[in-house]
Amino acid sequence: MSLVTTFTRGIFKENPVFRLLLGMCPTLAVTTEAVNGLAMGLATAFVLVCANIVVSLFRSVIPAKVRIPVFIVIIATFVTVVDLVMNGFVHELHKTLGVFIPLIVVNCVILGRAEAFASRNGPLSSLFDGLGMGLGFTASLTLLGAVRELFGNGTIFGAAIFGAGYHPVIVMILPPGAFITLGLILAAINHLSNVRAKAGA
Amino acid sequence: MKSIARMVLVLGLVCTVAALSLSVVYEVTKEPIAEAYRQELLDAIGAVLPAFDNAPDADMVAVEGVDYYLAKAKGAPVGAAFKVNSTQGYSGLITALVGVDPEGRVTGVRILLHTETPGLGAKFTAPAFLAQFKGKTLGTSNWKVKKDGGDFEQITGATITPRALVAAIGEGLETFAKARFTVFEGGAR
Repeated sequence: MSLVTTFTRGIFKENPVFRLLLGMCPTLAVTTEAVNGLAMGLATAFVLVCANIVVSLFRSVIPAKVRIPVFIVIIATFVTVVDLVMNGFVHELHKTLGVFIPLIVVNCVILGRAEAFASRNGPLSSLFDGLGMGLGFTASLTLLGAVRELFGNGTIFGAAIFGAGYHPVIVMILPPGAFITLGLILAAINHLSNVRAKAGA
Repeated sequence: MKSIARMVLVLGLVCTVAALSLSVVYEVTKEPIAEAYRQELLDAIGAVLPAFDNAPDADMVAVEGVDYYLAKAKGAPVGAAFKVNSTQGYSGLITALVGVDPEGRVTGVRILLHTETPGLGAKFTAPAFLAQFKGKTLGTSNWKVKKDGGDFEQITGATITPRALVAAIGEGLETFAKARFTVFEGGAR
């Protein structure tokens, strides 16, 4: 498989959120605003890329029986790094995302990629896999956040779209809004891929 | 037997390297994190008190478990800020910073921490809502929301949050009234 396919697969064909439905906890919890989705996505992408590279580099020396604990330690280390750095340097953002950052450790996307891809492939393709999956995750969370912020608050990235007369649909930024938005986007994506499959046949 | 030894060795090594690298990152980020928390508190103090030229977090007076951050201009105390907490909100803890001048008038209120519902209770962080506390004292105002017969505005569709906040500020002012002499006279020395 070429590096390009490895990269784009994570964004479209095997998008972790919209196609594999992995990592639902942060996806549903933090996407009340586009900027939260973006930041959470980037933090996850960083951990994903680092964990993928390290796991791939040491894949031949990690005994199969203890691979999961080893992966988790590697992932947890990078997550703690992200947590500390964000707290120190982007404090405001850390206040919003704070509780969800440590939870990146148990994000199935990251362990999933370490197990399914990085432990079987070289560092370079693992890097591209991590970048693709990470960007796919980031794009999905940002899209969810943007849609919920638009209808729930009338803004996108804090910029007013609908003007002052707009009455926000508050449910969109409450937890049910996350499920509603995710469901609608999944329906739209499934419809599009059905249409495309029919057109191709 | 050999494979068990190898497992232990690899896992032990991975954990050691992880612990070492984390201790490095911790050391590097320790200062910025402490500074960020301090700046956050100073910003909030600056927002609830009149202009001052000292470091209120250094001139702190603790009276009966409450920390009063004393603000001074040219050596004379101009006000004090203290935190009030409430668990009576709609969800979780509410922490607010209240500023008072030496006469006990509220100079400003700022919400430090809350998990109230976005779009409803969370509107209580709006400056327009918090402005109503300015100039009020413990004696001249009835520290309840209007719905409960008090003097303070509630928020349409979210009475629980303002009710909790108003009560917390009222209680804070009561505690402060007892500590006032110690805070201002003790601090002026």
